[in-house]
Order: sequence, then C-alpha cells, then structure tokens
Amino acid sequence: MDQAATLDHQFTVAAYVVTWTLQLGYLVWLGLKWRAQKRNADRLCGKGH
Amino acid sequence: MKKFAVGLYVAVTLALMVWGFYQAWYVAPLDAMQGEISRIFYYHVPIAMLCFLFFAISLVGSIGFLTYRQSLPSRAQAADALALAGAEVGVLYCTVVLLTGPLWGRRAWGIWWTWDARLTTTLVLWLIYVSYLLLRRFAAGPQMQTLAAVLGIFGALDVPIVYMSNRWWRTQHPAPVFGGGPDSGLKDPVMLAAWEWNILAWLAWGVLILILRYRLERRHQKIAAAEAEAALNAR
Repeated sequence: MDQAATLDHQFTVAAYVVTWTLQLGYLVWLGLKWRAQKRNADRLCGKGH
Repeated sequence: MKKFAVGLYVAVTLALMVWGFYQAWYVAPLDAMQGEISRIFYYHVPIAMLCFLFFAISLVGSIGFLTYRQSLPSRAQAADALALAGAEVGVLYCTVVLLTGPLWGRRAWGIWWTWDARLTTTLVLWLIYVSYLLLRRFAAGPQMQTLAAVLGIFGALDVPIVYMSNRWWRTQHPAPVFGGGPDSGLKDPVMLAAWEWNILAWLAWGVLILILRYRLERRHQKIAAAEAEAALNAR
C-alpha cells in the first residue's frame, strides 16, 4: 500500500470514528440525563407524598 | 406490547446500522477517481440530507408552539419539546457533516476548509442552531420558549439556502448527488444501494434519538410544572 492510499485509509477511518463517537456520545449523554431526571422525579414524588 | 415494539425498533435500527456500514465499507466499489476516501460520502451525504429533515421537524415544532401557546398550552409544550429535540439532533448531524467534510476535503482538495457557498452556509446553519440551543440552556423566564421558537423559524430559513447553494453558485463543493439535474445521481447500482441503506439506517437512528430526546424534554416539562406547583403549595 503506498503512502497516499494509507493516508486515504486513515482519513476514512477517522471520519467513521468521528461519526460514531459523536452519535454514541450523544446517546450516553441522553442516558445520563434520563437517569438524573428520574432521580429528581423520584425525589419530588417522595416529597409530595 | 409497547416494550416489544420499542425493542423491535431498536433491533431493526442497529441491524440497519451494521448493514449500512458493511455496504459502505465492504460491498460498494471504490470510486475510480478518489479511491478509498470516497467511502466517507456514504456517511457524510446521508447525514447531511437528514440534518435538513431534523431542522424541518424543529421548524414544525416552533410553528406549533407559536400557534398554540395561548389557545392550547399543553399542545404548545409538546410542540416546543419537538422543536428542541429536532434542533438538537439536527445540530448533532450537522456537526458530523462539518467534521467529516473537511476530512474528505483534506485528501481530495489538499485543504481542510474553504469559504465557498455550501460550506459557509452550512456553518452558518450550525451556528444559528447552536445559538438556539444556548438560548434554551441559559435564558430563563416565560419568554424563553417564544424567543427560541422565533429563532428556530429564522434558522430554518437557511436550510433551503444551504440546499440550493451549490446549484445557485459556483462552488468548490462537489455537485449534488441527487436532484442536481440530468447528470446527477449514481450510475452504479451497488453504490446507489449502499447509499440508500445508509440513508435508511441514519434515518432510523435519528428518529430513535429524536424520540428519546423528545420524551426526555416532556418529562422535564412535567417535573418543572410539578416543582412549581409544589412551591406554590408550600407557601
């Protein structure tokens, strides 16, 4: 594999990695937010009753 | 039954993602001119197309909020949650586009960025919706949702400009793959199939995270209302 082909491969892998990192990172952030919100809701219910 | 439907949708989405990746990486032939770097397009272009869809969903939510904010407050809140979810997923997709594009450009053009019409209008679109999200995050008070809805509608005006930019002006960005005149479109059926699978996969994924974000915001609204009520009762 020549140098240009190697660089092409690395840049293509980088693009796919960037895409998946952002998407999965967002999903994880949603999950964390969901958990924090559930805790908050449970606390509120505990106070209300 | 609902759990089963959700599980099935998640499973189908994940299967589509894997299949789309397989098609793009192992099945689609290499572009004769560009070589392996052309594989970036199987992610870059579908995600760019779908970011328009999510901003359009945000636009619908913003219009819905402004329409119902006085007559039907509960419906307005649902529309506002939809606007926020659409904007956030749209920004996520647009960020991917703005990062994968320069990775392709560096190898194809020898530069990371150029201020041509398509790239610049896309960056402006991203900045408008980032400011929308910052407004929602840091502004407070009863007018915040209204201001956000107006900004959301204003931001959506840039979407057709981005779409038409490489049709109206001479740009360094490649010509439209679809809908760009008689010469546009993919001639190779295997490449076309890989493209379509990835559009479908990223659509399914985007809808999944859009629904998650929408439900999260709806619950946030309900908790905020309950907290306000509890504070009033405590007086």
